[in-house]
Amino acid sequence: MKTKPTNRLGDRILMGLVFLFLYAPIFILIIFSFNSGVSSSVWKGFSLHWYNELIHNRLIMTSVYTTLLVSLLATVIATVAGTFAAIGFYSMRRKRRDALMAVNNIPMMNADIVTGVSLCLLFVVFFNGWGAFAGWINSIQSVVTLPTKLSLGFGTMLIAHVCFNIPYVILAVGPKLRQMDRNLIDAAQDLGCTWMQAFWKVVIPEIKPGIVSGALTAFTMSVDDFIISYFTAGSRTSTLAMTIYGMTKKRVSPQINAVSTLLFVTVLILLVIINIRESSMQKRVEKGKNRVAVVKEPSRTVRVLRRVAAGALALALLVTLIVTGRAANSRPEVNVCSWGEYIDEELITRFEEETGIAVHYQTVESNEALYSLIEMGGADFDVIVPSDYMIARLIEEDMLAELDYDNIPNFQLIDNQYKNLNYDPENKYTVPYAWGTLGIIYNTTMVDEEIDSWDAMFDPKYAGQVLMINNSRDALAAALLDLGYSINTTDEAELRQAFQRLRDAKNAGVYQGFVMDQVFQKMEGSNAAIAMYYAGDYLSMLENNEDLAFVVPKEGSNWFVDAMCVLKTAQHKQEAEAWINFIASTESNLANMDFIWYASPNYEALEQYPAYYEELYEEELDEEIYAIMAPGEDVLERCEIYENLPQETLQLYNDLWNQLGV
Amino acid sequence: MKNKLSRFAVPYVVWMAIFVVAPIVIMVIYAFTSQNGGFSFENFVKMGDYAEVFLRSFEMAIIATVICLLIGYPVSYLMSREGPGFQRTGMVLIMLPMWMNFLLRTYSWITILDNNGLLNQLFQKIGLIALYNNITGSDVTYFHMMNTPGAVVLGMVYNYLPFMILPIYSVIIKLDHSLLEAARDLGANSVTVFRKVILPLSLPGVLSGITMVFVPSVSTFAISQMLGGGTDLLLGDLIERQFLGGAYNPQLGAAISLVMMIIVVVCMIVMNRFGEGEEQAVMM
Repeated sequence: MKTKPTNRLGDRILMGLVFLFLYAPIFILIIFSFNSGVSSSVWKGFSLHWYNELIHNRLIMTSVYTTLLVSLLATVIATVAGTFAAIGFYSMRRKRRDALMAVNNIPMMNADIVTGVSLCLLFVVFFNGWGAFAGWINSIQSVVTLPTKLSLGFGTMLIAHVCFNIPYVILAVGPKLRQMDRNLIDAAQDLGCTWMQAFWKVVIPEIKPGIVSGALTAFTMSVDDFIISYFTAGSRTSTLAMTIYGMTKKRVSPQINAVSTLLFVTVLILLVIINIRESSMQKRVEKGKNRVAVVKEPSRTVRVLRRVAAGALALALLVTLIVTGRAANSRPEVNVCSWGEYIDEELITRFEEETGIAVHYQTVESNEALYSLIEMGGADFDVIVPSDYMIARLIEEDMLAELDYDNIPNFQLIDNQYKNLNYDPENKYTVPYAWGTLGIIYNTTMVDEEIDSWDAMFDPKYAGQVLMINNSRDALAAALLDLGYSINTTDEAELRQAFQRLRDAKNAGVYQGFVMDQVFQKMEGSNAAIAMYYAGDYLSMLENNEDLAFVVPKEGSNWFVDAMCVLKTAQHKQEAEAWINFIASTESNLANMDFIWYASPNYEALEQYPAYYEELYEEELDEEIYAIMAPGEDVLERCEIYENLPQETLQLYNDLWNQLGV
Repeated sequence: MKNKLSRFAVPYVVWMAIFVVAPIVIMVIYAFTSQNGGFSFENFVKMGDYAEVFLRSFEMAIIATVICLLIGYPVSYLMSREGPGFQRTGMVLIMLPMWMNFLLRTYSWITILDNNGLLNQLFQKIGLIALYNNITGSDVTYFHMMNTPGAVVLGMVYNYLPFMILPIYSVIIKLDHSLLEAARDLGANSVTVFRKVILPLSLPGVLSGITMVFVPSVSTFAISQMLGGGTDLLLGDLIERQFLGGAYNPQLGAAISLVMMIIVVVCMIVMNRFGEGEEQAVMM
């Protein structure tokens, strides 16, 4: 379309603004990948530190590989299947086509969550059925042994990706087919084509732009997807998005910025090359037109070469798939599930080198998420690291296996204070991992007084400045403590009163937000004055903002213990116990303590940490910091540990929590 | 001929039965099951408490979709009038952001919008905040942008705008130019050509675009959690809570999903009917 040149400038400005809108956040991401500090809002100087770290971060590297592999395979499968399906649909009578298209559109109209959950349910139902079937087959004959336990993994995730990709391909190809002149096919056949030839020579070229855009959309959807993968990948496979999500539980490491930057730049370079090639080809074509209008077909050798290259690529993909599948099967392994950034990852490597056991390390967002994952039967974790109250619930519901403490000699190093706690009174199921306290973090430059009470979390004086924690147990605990009740109360009136306190504060505009992970960025960047969070995380924040202070309020608080336990369904119990023993050792605890800033339950490690710190950083550990990390008796005696609540109280928590958001 | 081609769809129909229909059936069964097992309407009765969440989600998703359309259509249209090199680069640039994970891109907006974020720092530097204080006589040190419904809508528009541009563009670019020439020859000015020819013919793309923006917007949970501060729940948040969050109750989650799904499907059917009507009108 030709247009008057006067409009051009205005058009370009509009488009420029849209591009600015699309790219501003990305440039910020890229810039902060070169930040020498860990924060994503405070610039501390240029450094390539995070790129260096990235290379050694196996978790991220594996997830990048998984993401690319699943996206590529799903795109290829979905594009082929979707194109054929679209052609099939558009050759049908309208009524039938409309009915099928309605079904086809379901995955797109559904929330990703719904697609994910319903697929997960389907797989689990199928696996249960298969388990029974395989057991029956194995019992009546002994020639072949079928595996009885299938679990979610790469395969199920791939199916899910294909599932949500196909509709996008159909949606892209459909309009092209609709616009295509149907008579073209008849014409081709009249001219002597078989219908197969007509298909390849007429239909496909006509709808090619649709196929290409469909494939591109499918690939980007796959790369961008998080929710569906999350529900269908199981415990062993993790895409980049899932890794990021696990991290956002605590903090997005700038390593993620670095990996995104690298991916982005790679894609950019690739596309630029393609573009330059295409436009130079076009120029050549145009030049050719001036002389003789002949477009040279690519020569035979080029075509053969292309096919060989494509074949080699496909073969390489297949081989990697098989090899990685084999590699995973041949070694002893253990599936560990914990929180994001809750371990010094060198420990994983060290454990693998020492024992030859491969560790599949997964992270999950919260205790509740962990519970749901296990409850839905989609996960095959061996070792999990839940918090006290969740452990009690898991024990009560008979989901944990008793440990053989003969295989865990390092259990002796655990301080008696952390043994036989109320969640595991006889200590048959758990080995403590770390502990800490819940408290109030505040910015001393933004608050005039010294905060020492939970009142601060509900005070309209601080409207718009307070960050409430985004989980029902901790949030209601703050209100309960403020009202002078126990955090383990089962009294409905008390709980409703606490809920009212929260709701009043929320309606008065006290809360800037309900957050978990964002608390780091908000507090470090002085975007909020007051927040409630965990002591260890406060110490991480302190590294980036010295104005922050932490207090365990005078009304008391929660002190929590996260402990390692083994699930009843675990397939690698021995390896799991080896892992637990390794993590419980003094060296591991020291390394972990230094990395995550949470206190260790290992008395040797706890005692040695100040010396360890001094040796490592050549400066003394601030006593105040150590006191926050591992508070003394004076603080702990006003703290309570969470107990598991009866079913109806849990239900009440759920209902109140849902209503708070309405 | 026709029948032969329609056979291409058979494998996919089987696939759909297993991986699209069956999971929905399972979900429906869940929705009508009480938490202790057994058939019940309990979940639907409970849902009355969340009418506000439904309204809020649909309102926000509609606003986001309209904004996407208002930005996306002109961009697609203007893009289609540019030279081929510009077009190709432009399309690549529109797709490119999606190759960075959306969680990260959304996360990055927090850095920009926060009270002490980059945008407020910029306003401070150029004196905009001082100017505002002078005019209104107020005493603010920042503009409150984070954790507002506006921020959530912005997040939706930001994430899903490409889904609006791509289908519209791919339809417009395929338009038969002789139609436009014919219209002009018949005396139509640019506005009339656009209104009477281009706009109706690009409607299939617009419908695809609306579907592709509205559906993820109405069901999002990551965006509202990150940019909305988690104070006002959206449907996605509510569902996520029942399955993975602090309120494990998959039966209720399934019921909410089911109702949401039905509302969305009904909307889409109505819209598609309307779209088909238009198309036929154009052909006549």
